[in-house]
Amino acid sequence: MLMMKNWYKNVYHKLFHLDDRLLLIIAGSVTGVFSGLASVVLRLSLESALKWLHPFQQYWWAFVFPGIGALLSSFYLEKIAREGAGHGVPEVIYSVSRYGGLLRFRSSYSRIISSLLTIGSGGSAGPEAPVVMSGSSIGSSIAKLLGLNDRQRITLVGCGTAGAIASIFNAPIAGLVFAVEVILGEWKFVNIIPIAIAAVAGTEISQAIIPEQVIFNHQMFKVGFYDILPSLCLAVVTALISVLFTKALRQTGKIAKKTPFSLWTRAIIGGCVVGIMGMFMPVVLGEGYHFIQSMISGTFAMGGFIVFLAVFAKIFATAVTLGWGGSGGIFAPCLVIGSLAGIAFHNVMSGLFPSIECASQGAYALLGMTGIISGVMQAPLTGIFLIVEITGGYETILPLIIVSSLSSTMSHYIEPASFYFKELIERGQFLRPGTDARILSDLNISEIIETDYSKVSENMVFREFIELLKNSHQHFFPVIEDNTGEYRGIIQISAIRKYALDPGMYNMIFLNQIMDTEVITASLENDLQEVLDMMDINNMDTIPVVENDWFIGMISKTRILDLYRRELIMQTSV
Amino acid sequence: MELSVFDLSKHLGVVPGTIERWVQQGKLPVSKKGTNFKFHTKELEQWAAKHNISLKLSDKRTKEKSQESVIQLSSAVRNGGVYFDIRGNDMKSVLESCIEKISGIPDEFKAELLDRLTERERALSTGIGNGIAIPHPREQLGYLSEPLVSICFLDKPVDYHAVDNQPVWVLFFILCPVLKMHLYLLSALSFCLRDNLFISFLKSKPEPEDLVGKIENLQKANPV
Amino acid sequence: MNYKLLHIFRNTPFGRETFLQSLYFCKTINAFPVAYIPKSDKFLMYFPNDAVQVDLDHSYLRSPETAKDNAQGLFNEMGIKPMFYEPKNFTASSLPDISTNFDYLCCPRSVSDLSSRIGLGHIGPKVRRIIKHATFPVLITSPVYKPWKSISVFFGGSKNALSALRAGLKISMSSGLPMSIYTLLEKKGESYFRQLIEKNGLEEPVSQFSSQWHFYKKHDFDTLLYDVPHDSLIVLGAYGHGIIKDILLGSKMEHIQSTVTNNLLITGPHCSISLR
Repeated sequence: MLMMKNWYKNVYHKLFHLDDRLLLIIAGSVTGVFSGLASVVLRLSLESALKWLHPFQQYWWAFVFPGIGALLSSFYLEKIAREGAGHGVPEVIYSVSRYGGLLRFRSSYSRIISSLLTIGSGGSAGPEAPVVMSGSSIGSSIAKLLGLNDRQRITLVGCGTAGAIASIFNAPIAGLVFAVEVILGEWKFVNIIPIAIAAVAGTEISQAIIPEQVIFNHQMFKVGFYDILPSLCLAVVTALISVLFTKALRQTGKIAKKTPFSLWTRAIIGGCVVGIMGMFMPVVLGEGYHFIQSMISGTFAMGGFIVFLAVFAKIFATAVTLGWGGSGGIFAPCLVIGSLAGIAFHNVMSGLFPSIECASQGAYALLGMTGIISGVMQAPLTGIFLIVEITGGYETILPLIIVSSLSSTMSHYIEPASFYFKELIERGQFLRPGTDARILSDLNISEIIETDYSKVSENMVFREFIELLKNSHQHFFPVIEDNTGEYRGIIQISAIRKYALDPGMYNMIFLNQIMDTEVITASLENDLQEVLDMMDINNMDTIPVVENDWFIGMISKTRILDLYRRELIMQTSV
Repeated sequence: MELSVFDLSKHLGVVPGTIERWVQQGKLPVSKKGTNFKFHTKELEQWAAKHNISLKLSDKRTKEKSQESVIQLSSAVRNGGVYFDIRGNDMKSVLESCIEKISGIPDEFKAELLDRLTERERALSTGIGNGIAIPHPREQLGYLSEPLVSICFLDKPVDYHAVDNQPVWVLFFILCPVLKMHLYLLSALSFCLRDNLFISFLKSKPEPEDLVGKIENLQKANPV
Repeated sequence: MNYKLLHIFRNTPFGRETFLQSLYFCKTINAFPVAYIPKSDKFLMYFPNDAVQVDLDHSYLRSPETAKDNAQGLFNEMGIKPMFYEPKNFTASSLPDISTNFDYLCCPRSVSDLSSRIGLGHIGPKVRRIIKHATFPVLITSPVYKPWKSISVFFGGSKNALSALRAGLKISMSSGLPMSIYTLLEKKGESYFRQLIEKNGLEEPVSQFSSQWHFYKKHDFDTLLYDVPHDSLIVLGAYGHGIIKDILLGSKMEHIQSTVTNNLLITGPHCSISLR
C-alpha cells in the first residue's frame, strides 16, 4: 500500500509537477470546452433574439430597439454586474501582461449578457470580444481553482480565448493564431500545444451543438494572376478604412463622454441613432453575419454607390454603438466593413475597366475582410487564417497574404498602435514579455534597493567620520537625525574628497555642514521606470530611496543592470 | 538537497522577494510545503541546464576568499628580527651590511636584493623623516616564505637624502613575498611611526622583545 | 519601522469613526496610515492568486469636495503626517487597481452594505474574500472609535492562529502594550499548545511579551468572549470558511464578531508575518 502511494506520488510529481505540459493540456481542453460552450450560448441566444424581434421590425418605431438594448446593456454592466465597462480585449491583454492573467469571475458571463442585449436588439457590434472576454475569464478561473502560477494561468487564458474564437467562427487555427498573436504576444512551444488543443475542443463543442453551423459556406473562387494588382490597390484602400475606423471608434467614445447626458440617456440616443440608420440601411444592424454570407456568395443586392455609403454607415454605426454605451466587439463589424469595402472596390474597378477578367465580387469581399481585420488589429496572421478558415477558400490565399500584410503594414505606418493596443500603449501598460517595459514593470523597487548602508548622525564630527571611512566600503553615507532617525541628507565620498584630504578640516565641521541635502530621492512608491528617468534627468548613477523621512537604501545602475539581465534571461528562456 | 527561498536568494544574488515573484510567475521549479517554498538542488540544476542558465549552487567559493591570511606587523618583526650597530658611511654601504646581517634572506639572493633596494632609493628616497627610513623593493620577492620586517639600528647616522634632510639612524626593511601584504605592513608601520612616543622609545634602542611588545600594543589600539 | 496601513476613506460620520480607529491603530504601533479616497464606486485588488473587485456603496463617494480636507483634518487631529494613495494603474477607466503592497488594511465590517445595516451584522463576502487572499492582516474596526489598551490573541492552534499570534506579538512589541492569549480547549490539552509554541520558536517572545495565557473549557466560549477586556484589540486567525461551513454551521468568526464590539485584526491563510 505504501509502495503504491509512493509510486503514485512519484508519478504524479513527474507528470504534473516537474513538467506541467500534461496538466496544461488537460486544463486547456477543459477551458476550451467551457469557452466554446459560452460562445455557443451567445450565438444561439442571438439567433433567437433576432427571431423574436423579427416580426416587429416592419413597424416605424422599430428604431428604438437598439436604444432600449443599449440602455439595458449598459444598465446591466454598470449596476448589476458592476463591471468597469471597457472594450474587453484590452483588459485581457492588460491582465495577461501585468497580473499574470488574473481576471474576475464575473467577466465570464457579464459580457455575454450585455452584448446579447446590445447586438440582439440591433446594435452594431460583434459577439467575438465578449466571448473572448468570457473565455479568458473562464480560463483564469480554472487556473485559480487549480492554484496555478502566472505562466500556467496565462496559458489557460490563451486557451479560453482560442476556444471562444474557434468556436464562434468554427475556425480552430484562427483561434490559436488570435490567442497567440493578439492576446499573449509570444510564440512559445509550451503555450501553443494547449492552446491548439483548446481551439480544437472549442470547435468540436460548437459543431456538436450546432451541426450545420459553418457560418459562411464554402465557395469556389477563381483568382487569377490579374488580381494581384487590384488586390494591392485594395490593400491600400482597406488600410485607410481601418485607420478611419480605429479613429472613429476612439473619437466617438471621447465625444460621448463630453456630452452633458447621463450614461443612460447616452445609451438610448446612441442606440436610436443606429436604429434610424438601420431603417434605411439594414446592413448596419447587428453582427451582420447574414450580410457577409450573401456578399461572399455574390447574392448581395445593393448597387454601386450605396455599397460605398454603407461602408461609412457601418463604421459610424459601430462607433456610435460601442462609444455611446453598447457592449460588444469590433471583430464582426470589421468583417462587414471589409466585405462592403471589397464589393465597393470591385464595383468601381469593373466600372472603370470593364474588360479586365478579374475574380468575382465574393472573392473581393474576402480580400476586403482580411484587409480590414489585419489593418484594425494589426494582426496579419489572424486576418489570413480567419478568412481562409471560415470560407474554406484556399484558392484566394495568395492575394489574401498580399492584402493582409500590406494593409497591416500601411495602417501600422499611419497609426502605429492597433485598436486593441492603443489604449494600453497610451497608459504605458503595453508590456509584452521580453520587452524593456515588461522587465522594468516586473522588477520591483524593493528588489533592487541595496540596504546594507551604515548611517551616520548629523552631529558627528568630521574627524570621526574620516575614521569610519577608513574601514568602510561605502561610497555613500546617509545622514540621519539623532533622535528620530529621520533622513537629513547624504554624503557622497567623491564629493567631499577635497575636505577628506585636508586634515585641517577634521575638527572644524560637523556632518550636517558637509552633507548634500539637495539630492533627489526616490520612494518605494515609484516604479523602476520613474526612478530611471529621475536618474537620467539628474545624471546620477546612484539614487537614495527615502520613504516617510526614513532612509531605506540606495539604487545603483550597476545593480539594476545585474538584475535586469537576470530578469531578461528568466523572461525569455522559460 | 533542499533549499529555502532565502538560501536560493543568496545563491542567485537577489532578494527573497524576487525569488517569490519568480515562483509566482512560474519561472522556477518549486515544491510547496504548506506555505513555504522548497527548492531541490537537483531540479534546479536540471532546469538551469534546460534553459541554459548558469547557476552556481555550491557556496564554498565565496567563503574561502575572506579567509585570506593577514599577517600582523608584530609577527613580521619577529620573522625579520632586530639588529643593532650596523656599520656604514653612506646609504649603499649601510644597506649592504644590513642585508648581510638579516638572516631571513637566502644568501644567493642577497646581491640582487641590494641592487633592487638601491635602485628604489635612487628613484625616491624612503627616508620618511625623523631619522627613519623604510627601505623596500618595488617587486615582490617570491623566494620568501613569509613577510619580513627587519629593524636595523645604525652605529652612526648617515645621510639618506630623507625628506627632512636629517641623517637616518634606523632602518625598517619590509620584504614581502606578496605585494598586498607589503601595502598592509607599510600602512601598519607608518601608523606606529607617526606616534612620537614610539619614536622616542625607539631612540632608546630597546631590547627586541620589548620592541615587539610595544608594536603589539600599538596594533591593538589601531585594529585594521 | 515602515509599515503602512491602507484605509479606504468614507466621508461620513461613520467613516470618520473607522478612520479615527485606523489612525489610532497606526499611532499605537508606529505605522503610517495611507488614505485612499475613492473616485469611482469600485476598485480591484490583485492578490497573488485572485483578483478581488470591491464594490463600494454610494456613501463612499459622498461629497468628494470635502473628503480630502476632512481626512486631512483627522490626520492633523491625531498628529500624523497625511498620506494619500493615488492608484497608478487602471484595469478600465472607472476601475482602478489598488496596490496590495501594504502591511495592513482597514475594513469596516462590510464594505458594500449601507452603514445603517453594518452595526454588528455579518462580515461581508468581499471582506471575507479579501481576508482569504490577503498577504497582510485586516483590521476590522469597531463601529465607534474606541481606543484600546491591550492586545488579546485568540489562539486555537491552527496555522492561521499561529500567524495571528505572531501578529499579536509584533503589535505588542511595537506598541509596548500588554498581550494576553485566550485558548479554548476543545480536544487537546494545555500542554499541547505550549509545545506547539515551542515547536514554532515562539516560546521566548511569548514569555517576554504575553502577560497571561487563559484556557477555557470547550463550552465556555461565550465566557471567553466576555472575559476579553472591552478595550483590547482582538487578534485572531480567520477560521476556515468554506461555502458549506458558512451555510450550515455558521462560522466561528461570525460568532465572535457579532458578539464582541472590539476591534478585530484578522490574519488570513496567506498572511506571512515575521517577527523581525
